[in-house]
Amino acid sequence: MLEIRDLECGYGPVAALKGISLDVGEGELVALIGANGAGKSTTLRTISGLVKPRAGTIRFRREDIAGADPARILSLGIAHCPEGRRVFPYMSVADNLAMGAYLRKDPIQVREDYDRVYSDFPRLAERRHQSAGTLSGGEQQMLAIGRALMSRPKLVMFDEPSLGLAPTIVEQTLRIIKAIRDGGATVLLVEQNAFAALELCDHAYLIETGRVVKRGLGPELIADPHVREAYLGG
Amino acid sequence: MDQFLQHLVNAMVLGGAYALLGIGLTLIFGIMNVVNFTHGALYTFGAYAMYLASTALGMNFFLALPFAIVAGLALGALLELTLLRPLRGADIDTTMLVMIGAGIILQSGTLWIFGGVAKAIPSPFPDAPLQFAGVSISWLRLFVLLAAAALIALAYAMINGTRLGRAMRATFQDADTAALMGVNVRLIYTATFALGSSFAAAAGALLGPVYVVFPQMGDLAAVKAFAIVILGGLGSIAGATIGGFVLALAEEFGAGYVSSGYRDAMGFLIIIAVLLMKPTGLFARAERVG
Repeated sequence: MLEIRDLECGYGPVAALKGISLDVGEGELVALIGANGAGKSTTLRTISGLVKPRAGTIRFRREDIAGADPARILSLGIAHCPEGRRVFPYMSVADNLAMGAYLRKDPIQVREDYDRVYSDFPRLAERRHQSAGTLSGGEQQMLAIGRALMSRPKLVMFDEPSLGLAPTIVEQTLRIIKAIRDGGATVLLVEQNAFAALELCDHAYLIETGRVVKRGLGPELIADPHVREAYLGG
Repeated sequence: MDQFLQHLVNAMVLGGAYALLGIGLTLIFGIMNVVNFTHGALYTFGAYAMYLASTALGMNFFLALPFAIVAGLALGALLELTLLRPLRGADIDTTMLVMIGAGIILQSGTLWIFGGVAKAIPSPFPDAPLQFAGVSISWLRLFVLLAAAALIALAYAMINGTRLGRAMRATFQDADTAALMGVNVRLIYTATFALGSSFAAAAGALLGPVYVVFPQMGDLAAVKAFAIVILGGLGSIAGATIGGFVLALAEEFGAGYVSSGYRDAMGFLIIIAVLLMKPTGLFARAERVG
């Protein structure tokens, strides 16, 4: 579904990605793990068009999307749930969800999707008129996920969804991500909590300093001595 | 008491136009982070568009007003596309200098085309003022107040109730994430600048017939717009609305009860006082743009 080959990009003179290649198949849950600053977020930002690549190709359902506008990429079916949740703090919960459906022209189905998000996340329904900035971290994460789903994506990319959340909320968030995959969407997950990500995913890529250094099934990487030592605490 | 009410009524009329001026400036700053030094020139432009439409083009007064507003919208879009879009990401000093230059060109162009002599815009209203409870207000001023109120209401409805307004608020709060939602951020910038410009032009077109029209009229208007925006807090539309009326009240009552010579100094006094006491503006809250 998503094929990335030799992707390179950088901020100014600093190269952030030095030739990343990865594949995400239809219906899979693929994880990118690695340390802070390894290039995981930049990979997602390049896929969604916020960062323009210097070299390499990104194919989504055989269409080359490298360097395309974020709006075009979203309309092809890739949603990006950004790091730090990034809800619009001074907009209501309902307006945040409306922004997720910004490009859609099918108001009747959009209405159904609101109802589905509200029934999946009853806390959001209770707070639909409240400013998103007043929600708790966990509620903001639910809103960010709900907002990403409002575009009816085929591929959803999550960037550090567990960051800064209480352990019970982390568990809940990861369960939701798994449910999204089980519901038929494809998921690309960036997660610092390597163990949780590897347990959840079908296969994973380990990224270090802008390169893919290992790939494999979740259990394979959990068993890998290098991964154990560097990312799973020995 | 009658005098007090008279000043209050005058201040409301002036305040409506000031609020428009302030909303335009604060919208552009809040969403684009651009300090718009052409705002005064756009105010002048609106007044001259009104003058041209109702004299040389022979338009009806009530048609000339929307004409002037749309002309301001178009000039704003043109300025954004030709000057600001290429400078996006450039140094803030560069942008400021270019905008100051554009303002000078617009003002000199006006002087060149229309000459330095002040012009009057013919008013379709009867000269005899409306008398009510010892207060007199000319029909023209009443119309200015109502038109300004309608435009302010329109601005609120647009920002809070439309898809474009929602995209503008989202872009203001987080431009990157707005782009991820599919918002064409560059288009939002153009729309914002055009809209902000049209508000300055509307203020000029409304106050032009009340006073006279001359090429430097925008200089003082720009200072007042900055005073209003500083008063209301940068980026706050509600603050700009309140700020516009507060400045008008200060001017009217300052002129009426202190000294009429200090009328236009009120704006400067307000800027100094606010910056000394509350640099974020009196109405600066977390909630901005909407």
